[in-house]
Amino acid sequence: MSPIRRSILVALATALIATVAAPAGAQSTLETVKKRGKLIAGVKTDFPPFGTVDAAGKNVGFDVDVAHRFAKALFNDEQQVELVAVTSGNRIPFLQSSKIDIIIATVTITDERRQVVEFSEPYFMSGSLILVPRASAVTSLDDLGGKTVAVIQGAIQDKDVEQLQPKASRVKFGKVSEAVLALKGGRADAYVHDDIVILSLAKENADLKAVGKTFVPRPYGIAVRKGDTEFINWVNAELKKMHTDGTYDRLWKKYFADVEQFLIKP
Amino acid sequence: MTAYGFEWAAIARGLPYLLEGAGLTVMISSVAMVLALVLGLALAAISQAPGPVARRLVAAYVEVFRNTPLLIQIFIVYFGLPQLGVKLSPFLSGLAALVLYAAAYNTEIFRAGLEAVPHGQFEAARSAGLGELQILRYVIMPQAVRICFPALGNNLVSLVKNSSLVSTIGMVELMFVANDISFNNFRTFEIYGTAAVMYVVIVLALTRLLRAAEGRLLRAPA
Repeated sequence: MSPIRRSILVALATALIATVAAPAGAQSTLETVKKRGKLIAGVKTDFPPFGTVDAAGKNVGFDVDVAHRFAKALFNDEQQVELVAVTSGNRIPFLQSSKIDIIIATVTITDERRQVVEFSEPYFMSGSLILVPRASAVTSLDDLGGKTVAVIQGAIQDKDVEQLQPKASRVKFGKVSEAVLALKGGRADAYVHDDIVILSLAKENADLKAVGKTFVPRPYGIAVRKGDTEFINWVNAELKKMHTDGTYDRLWKKYFADVEQFLIKP
Repeated sequence: MTAYGFEWAAIARGLPYLLEGAGLTVMISSVAMVLALVLGLALAAISQAPGPVARRLVAAYVEVFRNTPLLIQIFIVYFGLPQLGVKLSPFLSGLAALVLYAAAYNTEIFRAGLEAVPHGQFEAARSAGLGELQILRYVIMPQAVRICFPALGNNLVSLVKNSSLVSTIGMVELMFVANDISFNNFRTFEIYGTAAVMYVVIVLALTRLLRAAEGRLLRAPA
């Protein structure tokens, strides 16, 4: 047998073994977390104001505060949470492979994602906006025809831009910071992402500005593994408590006060 | 929680895109390979020049590019250089970084090969009336290349696999396509598994080619 054919066979055999050996966990993640004494949450580190890292290297942001709040509810100690940095691309694989218990990382709820994860009730509404250099003449999606548009791999805007402005050529990056660098270095004419992150980036970078009218608003949800209804019910109950006890409003004011007029409050 | 079901259909749907990505992987790797071989050989030859200057300059280049992560080099070329006014296309940025990185290793491999040829060979060739370049071309090189062939092969295999790093700067090669598909359909195992098999096939083709070339070299009269 030729080495090529043999290697293909080996790979196929490996795939078959993986199919047969796939574990069928019956326990809810909630039990595992309680037994472990610590929640492992996937959060963003490059997505202001939901998940970033401050100058001292500490995770901060709306989602990070939610993670701490969950830890407090579970263990009466908001520090009993391990924060794992995820990106738009890898967050769902991280959840599927049990590297994290829960995704609190600006996941837009879509039908495709519903097939593979369990979503909470919406906790934020986000549309998309366009970030461009200050001198740019671009004011809307229509102006992006024939232009190079940066998007994030695995983010919904990849498909949105493809559908709404098929004449734009998309260049895809793994992280928000890379897309911003590409925009600043003239490697892209515009960068399209969730309104809230674009507004924050425009505020932080004097050489960039947010343009366009918010398009395709969709809700963010917290995600747990598919079929884990016990855990997602717990998450929903906690979110509800956050609304009734004023935590949600407090976080909203803390993180969104200065861009509030652009946002849709759920 | 649901058991993981292997989905052949996900592979079938992704295959055309993955093959297209593999095409670019083969392309950028082959061009980088040729350039890194030429550059490595040239620098190794230069480092043999009399006097310390050339040797030290080559050594400095080797240390810089061999002792820094390839990913940093790619980011410096792609994101950093435009701030200094040097804007290479994504393809050229990725290619430049791959070539500079692989050539640093190639330089060392060729240098080791050149220095392994016994000094008596130089003296014998010189006394036979050959010029310096002739000595290098007809006496030293044929022996040196044979000595360094296995190490060179290893480095070229690494180059193919390292080319996956240019996915980070938006080059639509095999790794990029695999990310792109699995980030959308979440069939991580199937898609990365298929991409891995494709890398194996590419590298096996390369090692066969290298073995054939080695065979020819060994057959050639010294």
